[in-house]
Amino acid sequence: MLRGKTILLLRPTIRVGAQSTGGMFEANGTWTEEARRNIAVALANVQERLDNRVVAAPEAYGDANRLAEEYGSLFAAVSASVVNYQFFKGNRLPTKKRDNKADVFDWSVGPGVADLPGARDADFALFIYDYDAYGSTGRKLLQVVAMLGPRIAISSGVHTGYAGLVDLKTGDLLWLNADTHMGGDVRTPDGAEKRVRELLQGFPGSKPDPDTAPAR
Amino acid sequence: MSPLWLSSGLWVAAAMLAPITAGAETLPPTYAELYKPHGVDEIGIWQDADEDERRLTASPRVIRDEALTGYVKGVLCETVGPERCKAARVYIVRTPIFNASMAPNGTVRVFSGLLLRMRSEAELATVLGHEFGHFQSRHSVKLFKAERGASDVLSWAGLLAAMYPGRDTRRMFGDLRYSVLGHYFRYGRDTEREADRISIGYLNAGRLRPQVASEVWQHAIAEGLASAAAKGLRKPRYDTIAFADSHPPNAERAATLAALAALEGIGRDDGAARYASAMAPFLPQWLDDQIRLNDFGASAYVIEHLAEGGWTAPLWLARGDLYRLRGNPRDLVAATDFYAKAVALDPQLADAQRGLGLSLIKTGRRVEGQAALGRYLALRPDAPDAATIAMLAKEP
Amino acid sequence: MMRRLPTRRLFAALAVAAIAISPGHAGNALRGRGEAVPIAGSNLTITPGRDWNSLGVSPGKMVEVWTLDGEDLNAVTFYAGIEAEMPLVREISKKRLPLPKFRRQTLLADIPELLEGTYRARRMIATFHVTGATPESFLGHDGIRFTFDYVEEDELPRRGEARATIIDGRLYMATFAGPRLYYYDRSLPDFHALVEAARLR
Repeated sequence: MLRGKTILLLRPTIRVGAQSTGGMFEANGTWTEEARRNIAVALANVQERLDNRVVAAPEAYGDANRLAEEYGSLFAAVSASVVNYQFFKGNRLPTKKRDNKADVFDWSVGPGVADLPGARDADFALFIYDYDAYGSTGRKLLQVVAMLGPRIAISSGVHTGYAGLVDLKTGDLLWLNADTHMGGDVRTPDGAEKRVRELLQGFPGSKPDPDTAPAR
Repeated sequence: MSPLWLSSGLWVAAAMLAPITAGAETLPPTYAELYKPHGVDEIGIWQDADEDERRLTASPRVIRDEALTGYVKGVLCETVGPERCKAARVYIVRTPIFNASMAPNGTVRVFSGLLLRMRSEAELATVLGHEFGHFQSRHSVKLFKAERGASDVLSWAGLLAAMYPGRDTRRMFGDLRYSVLGHYFRYGRDTEREADRISIGYLNAGRLRPQVASEVWQHAIAEGLASAAAKGLRKPRYDTIAFADSHPPNAERAATLAALAALEGIGRDDGAARYASAMAPFLPQWLDDQIRLNDFGASAYVIEHLAEGGWTAPLWLARGDLYRLRGNPRDLVAATDFYAKAVALDPQLADAQRGLGLSLIKTGRRVEGQAALGRYLALRPDAPDAATIAMLAKEP
Repeated sequence: MMRRLPTRRLFAALAVAAIAISPGHAGNALRGRGEAVPIAGSNLTITPGRDWNSLGVSPGKMVEVWTLDGEDLNAVTFYAGIEAEMPLVREISKKRLPLPKFRRQTLLADIPELLEGTYRARRMIATFHVTGATPESFLGHDGIRFTFDYVEEDELPRRGEARATIIDGRLYMATFAGPRLYYYDRSLPDFHALVEAARLR
């Protein structure tokens, strides 16, 4: 059970914007800043209910910053492997398929994470990636007309996120969730709370959920 | 729905393309002190650029050499003036391609492959002035809007074509697609022309010889021809525009820049000597990075172009490596000759002794080759491959 | 100046994951402990001491990639008898983007540069260093063992080790690569065990 712990929140990668009629991403600075703020508050709230304390990783410079970035890249590579080779049906590695059957989730970024800035005063590290492209009015109109007319399904909006929890003593990945169709509007505090609850589905210590990673 | 829709769709198309050329000229210049981006699109693009720069500061590909970075920044400041220059932060990135960029937030990326190809401060100033031109004219935001406008129009038109799938509609969609995309790419080329004009303006007003600007593109043409010739490809055209080209043809750029260079500047210094001494410590590494891309013609051109100022030991070494790594029997004979010239100029150049030894052995001159490998090991006893080479040097 | 290069790593990882799962390519296969298997249908045979996965996609006809956790984290690449005048892996375009070739004159001492040139030309990377090379037998023949560092597009610095030998004019090589953070060190002994378990039939 994960309760009463300190969680180090590594600077989340957050991009929020609109999706133009033609499907291009339009970064929106105000939305991104709001989302960054809302998600931080929502995270603290959700974790408080689990008796966990969330602290933001300190801003790092020079070598410490490079180490943090390298771990960020490693975490991205590990997450891609988990999604690609253990979660995703079509392409699983045979050894990972067997892990799924035995309920084994064996991934790590190594004990070196203990050297990350801020790691000494925390038990776990939380990585968060969030990418939101809200369909613009033009895109929504296109979607409706396409459906009414030639019955072409055009997607409006992209809402992708993934989050992972790493044990700062061992580097073991305790939990990972990746979702390409997330709910909750991160531009509002309530929406961000909904988003964070979805993103943290199956988080260790939270209520068991049949839909939980890694058993998907 | 009536076919009227279709024509109103096209009308929408025209309306959406209109703002592309309008621009927002009433805004303060991007290099104003503590400039804040304006409008949703510019703010968004800046924030993206800030995030990119945050990662760039930690990137393992950035060459963190204060003297080199300071020198390149100095050339930029000399070109655009100290006030404007405050808006720029320069990063040298180890990537063996001919490119540089300036992001809307002032992040300047200069690739090592570009520094390898420039011959003088004036050439570097031409490229940096061009990038600064994109920056001060807000081309990123404008291109973004143009691309969005074009893709919006095509989405609607594509849908309408699907709704009225007659042959005429299809053809109209095809025509429209070409006209919209063509407009977008042409607009991109026009921003390049504008940046070229800004750049030559800076050079004319500065202390370096502006006639050099045209040479940057002449050399790019010559390198492209050399690369294609060595690969046995058809000669590339540098005087025509392919439909989707993002840039005007190099020949046109060279001609325009030559015409716009101020005549009174012709007697000015081009800063070639200062440039060469600033780059000297990095040249062997960057030459090696270039050679190993396996683009024989381009690499040979770059080496020979550098050697116009006189052949040095590192240049003979690079030429030897280029031929040895291609590895045809005649290449190995040529490489032997080039390494010998490097060694004659600088007997202490360990890598040249190594290349000489390997090439001699492969061309059947084992005894001489083993002697050269022995000299390599004596010069660099702790070389990473010392044990392997030692075995080769001793083999009967 | 010429091309605007996308520098967005953020979701590249997930995007790659999505692309790799396009249906239709041969699946990944188990290489079970204790079972002798030929590499890419050649006379090179491995009897692994633990379970590995062989990826369904391969970069060349005579090449097979094995992994424990995915090729970005630990990849063992077997080159099973590359013939003279051939590149190590398939060329994207023979004419426009040629790769360096294994030559008749290629010496054991040249092989690190052959691998380096292949990585650099194929992936357009600048940062690749051979950090060591020593004579060491492979498949019971005189061979070479070398180590290297490199950085690719994903900016995750990696480390590698390789063994190679030339038998009857053909190149046999096994390379191992993984992120220098944790993964390289963790699985290096597993690579060494595979090298010991490699035989020519």
